[in-house]
Amino acid sequence: MARARAEQQPATGTTLIVMVGLGIAFLLFMAFLNVVKSGNLLNEANLLYAALIFYAGAGALYLGFGVTGTDSYIKFASLATWAGLVANTGAVAHRWYEAGHPPFASLYEMLLSFVWTLAALTLIAEKRYGVKVIGTVTMPVAIVGVVLMQLLRSEVRPLVPALQSTWLHVHVTLAMLAYAACALSFALAMMFLIQDKVKTEVFLAATSIFTVGIYAAILTRFERWGGFNVVAWDAENKTEVFLSRGVRLFVTIPDLGWLMLLVFAAVASPLVLYILARVRKNEGFLNVANRAVFISILLQTLALVFFLLRARDGSYPSLDAEGLYPTALAASPFILSALVGGIFANLLYLLLLWRREDLERLLPDAENLDRITYKTICIAFPLLTLMIAAGAYWANRAWGSYWNWDPKETWAAITWLVYAGYLHMRITRGWRGRRAAYFAILGFAVVMFTFFGVTYLLPGLHAYA
Amino acid sequence: MALSLRSAFRKTWQTLSSIKTGVVLIILVVIFSAAGTVILQRPITDPDDLQRAYSPGMLRFLDATGLSDVFHARWFIALMILVSLSIIAASVQRFPNAWRYFARPYKSPDEGFRRVLPVQAQIPIRDEEQGLGAAERALHHYGFKSERIVRTDSFSLFSEKHRISEMAVYIVHASLLLIFLGGIVDALYGWRGFVMLSPGTSSNHIELKNGSTRALPFSIRCDATGEETYSDGTPKKWWSKLAIVDNGSDALRKEIVVNDPLVYQGVRFYQASYGRTGKLDQLVLTATPADGKGAAQDITLKMDQIVSLDADTKVQVAEFIPDFVVQDGHVYARSNDVVNPAVHLIVSSAKANRVVNVWLPEISGIAENASSPYTFQPKDLKTELFTGLEVSHEPGQWEVWAGVILMAIGLTFVFYVVHTRFWVVPVQDARGQLTLWVGGSVNRNRDAFEATFKKVVEQIQSELKPVSAAAEEKAAASIAR
Repeated sequence: MARARAEQQPATGTTLIVMVGLGIAFLLFMAFLNVVKSGNLLNEANLLYAALIFYAGAGALYLGFGVTGTDSYIKFASLATWAGLVANTGAVAHRWYEAGHPPFASLYEMLLSFVWTLAALTLIAEKRYGVKVIGTVTMPVAIVGVVLMQLLRSEVRPLVPALQSTWLHVHVTLAMLAYAACALSFALAMMFLIQDKVKTEVFLAATSIFTVGIYAAILTRFERWGGFNVVAWDAENKTEVFLSRGVRLFVTIPDLGWLMLLVFAAVASPLVLYILARVRKNEGFLNVANRAVFISILLQTLALVFFLLRARDGSYPSLDAEGLYPTALAASPFILSALVGGIFANLLYLLLLWRREDLERLLPDAENLDRITYKTICIAFPLLTLMIAAGAYWANRAWGSYWNWDPKETWAAITWLVYAGYLHMRITRGWRGRRAAYFAILGFAVVMFTFFGVTYLLPGLHAYA
Repeated sequence: MALSLRSAFRKTWQTLSSIKTGVVLIILVVIFSAAGTVILQRPITDPDDLQRAYSPGMLRFLDATGLSDVFHARWFIALMILVSLSIIAASVQRFPNAWRYFARPYKSPDEGFRRVLPVQAQIPIRDEEQGLGAAERALHHYGFKSERIVRTDSFSLFSEKHRISEMAVYIVHASLLLIFLGGIVDALYGWRGFVMLSPGTSSNHIELKNGSTRALPFSIRCDATGEETYSDGTPKKWWSKLAIVDNGSDALRKEIVVNDPLVYQGVRFYQASYGRTGKLDQLVLTATPADGKGAAQDITLKMDQIVSLDADTKVQVAEFIPDFVVQDGHVYARSNDVVNPAVHLIVSSAKANRVVNVWLPEISGIAENASSPYTFQPKDLKTELFTGLEVSHEPGQWEVWAGVILMAIGLTFVFYVVHTRFWVVPVQDARGQLTLWVGGSVNRNRDAFEATFKKVVEQIQSELKPVSAAAEEKAAASIAR
């Protein structure tokens, strides 16, 4: 059985690379169209496209390295990352010049800076700590970031008075650095778990739970008769449509809900099979579960394609108002990133499933990874502290109070507490290895919630970010 | 009884100081803070919005438990106090040990210590002085100063760097307590309020958040205020020229903008809002003589200001109503927003000894516009500006900032400054050979240290070699002689 699977591997690996390669070609084509349309080669959008293509190329090569273990891939992947970083730096500089302030004022600008930091840290981790395959995780995150940027409002908008402060820039710079360090510690903790001989099926369960969570969240938008609700989009003003203050207008895309429901069943099946395998103590179920993962990836891709086709543009009826209202991808950045994130997580699992031995051979040993994870958190924690302090100082100058308990502040404090907990357990209780790795993963989950979740789910003063 | 009380106290103390309690408290703080961000909170959210969001029963429950205002609820404050106590207890319990370590460094290692120290090496030497000298030079080469420790029965070398690192954790904990202290001071003695001023007016009464008013020992005067906008109309800058009037004279003047407040005697004035009041600033009218003789003229009127139209006729503004409504022959103001303004003018002529009430727009029943010697066309209307100032007094903020700086220093020491120690002791090994025992220890980052230690040992060996070679030569020379 094992041998049969081993023979199967190269073919599947090639398929993956070919698929990614086709994606790059498609993106190149899009970039070309964009250049033709704008007639200007070196504007921000083009630089960003260039960065995207290079990052995508790097991601593909890192993935290829992960799959085949061909060492020469890594060299080219590094080069592509460098090229992407150069283009990204150009985009940041262009933005900075155009806006007259460092690019930290909107979600778009912060993503721009975040992706830049992530790419820079990837290269540092690779060159300085020899964590070669780190790009397998960070590059797809960078790609998702750049894709998300295409959807967000990107025009330079003047700063409202409250945002005109050096302390804001200090605050956001520190936040980006801290979050990027947290992202790195997450990736390292995952790699540690691989090196620490955590069973592959545990990753299966984790990936499935993550994906099931994604689709459960997506299905909150399920509407009667299989419809699927998305926010209406006002293309002219580039903003969501509001019924009243804070109440968004939803439009219903018919039948898309059924597809999401089907995919939910597909992503839930590996989890169910995993539980069956555990309960019945029958390894056979796990093989079926792995196949179910493969099927679920295909279905998820289908869901993504249909979502892209139907929500990209078009007008749909709404339950709350008469007539048809247009929507656009920009109205649903979180559904989109959730869909992409689900596929990405499952692909990473497949990579692990098929190429675990190669990964183990190529990654630094567990002890080293554990130490580097700790070191990145040692960098992230002071940065988090200073970020909160700079934010408090700015709030004190702008609003007359250094602490308002608004959701973003509170969640920043929670993030800080989680990492403080990690450090205490590690230093005083000597938590090493697995428990520390799980803690690092939890910390990053909280960071992600603070960064994305709070902005879109919870109300507060931090309306600009 | 007293004994059991004491043991109960000790038990509480032990529980408080344990790391487990600390972690449980951290988890509780996390859970309740998270709840405070998910549940709509009282002071910020509109009461109507709250009622819309939750059922009456639910709202009663939230209010009763304090979940609708988590961060000001008593139990949350109690929780924060418990966290502080836990930090204090944990620090106090561990501090004496650390302090002993810090104040009385362990300089001459005994045999037991030498046996168990994980990082150590042994180098054969010929005599004590030669070995210690080489070690001294090697350590100096790597930037360590060493001191000779002379005991009655031994002779050794001790060297260390960054002993302060042992205290770093306490610095961080102290800084956290300092920040909490600042927060408590502000909660007890601080206040926040609001004051609205029009240019030319002054006030010493601040409306506090809780609805009461606070009188300041000085007053604040607004001399001017204004707004600058970007070309697309979004606000770019709000500014106000303020002056502090203390004991009848201007004590301080400053132009404030958002992000740059005025501070006087610990009270800070922030630019918070800006707008127009419903009060008239100036009104420009075109006045045309009703009989058609004479030219039309533009006049500018302010409240209570009398303007002559000709030698005989004068006009003044009697009333300005920003948003008027007529009911039962009377004019009322519906709001202070300038959406539907009406002006009451009084046109008087001295010769005829006649007064005419003119209303713009003409309100039937009360306006006497038809008998006015002039007709008026409104041309421009400006209402008074106001500047909204957020006022706050936070006596605890200096503790907070001091705490932040202290924490930055503490964290730097915790993560990046390592207490490094070296001991060098000449000993006889099991076979009676004289060797130099070299031991090293760090309080963190041991892997990096092991590399350094290896280098130091190699350096000692290389320091030993030329000396021994030279000594042999000397010995050989003396024999030859």
